[in-house]
Amino acid sequence: MVKASFALLKSAAAAAASTGVAKSLSEILVCPLSKQPLRFCEETNSLVSDAIGVSFPIKNGIPCLAPKDGKILGSDADDDRTKSDDAADPASANRDS
Amino acid sequence: MASSLHFPVLCLHGGRLNRDRRTRGATRCSSERQALFGRIAPVYDNLNDLLSLGQHRIWKRMAVSWSGAKMGDCVLDLCCGSGDLAFLLSEKVGPHGRVTGLDFSKEQLSVASSRQRSRAKACYKNIEWVEGNALELPFPGSYFDAITIGYGLRNVVDKPKAMREMCRVVKRGCRICVLDFNKSTQPSTTSFQEWMIDNIVVPVATGYGLGKDYEYLKSSINEFLTGKELEKLALESGFSNGKHYEISGGLMGILVATR
Repeated sequence: MVKASFALLKSAAAAAASTGVAKSLSEILVCPLSKQPLRFCEETNSLVSDAIGVSFPIKNGIPCLAPKDGKILGSDADDDRTKSDDAADPASANRDS
Repeated sequence: MASSLHFPVLCLHGGRLNRDRRTRGATRCSSERQALFGRIAPVYDNLNDLLSLGQHRIWKRMAVSWSGAKMGDCVLDLCCGSGDLAFLLSEKVGPHGRVTGLDFSKEQLSVASSRQRSRAKACYKNIEWVEGNALELPFPGSYFDAITIGYGLRNVVDKPKAMREMCRVVKRGCRICVLDFNKSTQPSTTSFQEWMIDNIVVPVATGYGLGKDYEYLKSSINEFLTGKELEKLALESGFSNGKHYEISGGLMGILVATR
């Protein structure tokens, strides 16, 4: 139980640090395609280009801003399907994030 | 003098094939390249040290020095890999400066990030890593006080575009420094480079299971630009001047260009 608590704390600290880095970077980063400002979305932990409606993920605190990393916003069916798959399979919760 | 070991395969961005390749070094797609970078990431730093007898550290210090980066500056290291140049820049700009390291390999960035966490110097906290594409930089125009790119330009499939992007994001009056192998116009230097690759680099890389990848180094250098061609490219890309310096007996070169 102590180990689990420690792991949880460590994960929370890493997530907080990641958020801090992402927020700081979002001040300087722009969309690689439109060169317009990006908005940090805490809910999805991503950087959003409102100019072209694309979001770019942040993984392990590192923004992934190659054009190929962009995901078109509003592909909600895909998002919902992914979320329900994750809920059904606990192992998938440890995928790259 | 051993050559520095930096990944030789040309980078393919956007899935385009370079149909003009005449050598066995056929252009690989971006995803294959990324997989390869991922594979060499764990041994990349050790091999660099081994094959250059540690001299790559000197070349990189020169590049950082000539970039003009100074205390408090905001700087970029492009194709940062495991972060060698970024760490040197971090020391130069200090805790009130800012270093951004961009690379397209998440594995290399993971190594860079781990190295940052394991290092004690407070100034290293000023480095932030970004996964991205050198041809589509996610930075606003005229933002950086200096840019370095070490052993990256040779591996980019569209060098003019990469140079134009660097010119876009560096501030007017500021410099970029491009460190890479020198494509020499002296036959003796070229012969020596090729001998080093055939007899030292490839055999050592083979010991790490990476021999096939490093066989491409010769053709990669052969297809790179000479110093004069790099200077011309700098002017064509929007820089006000460009000067190429041969170092290490002509084996390596540094292009310094000012916007």
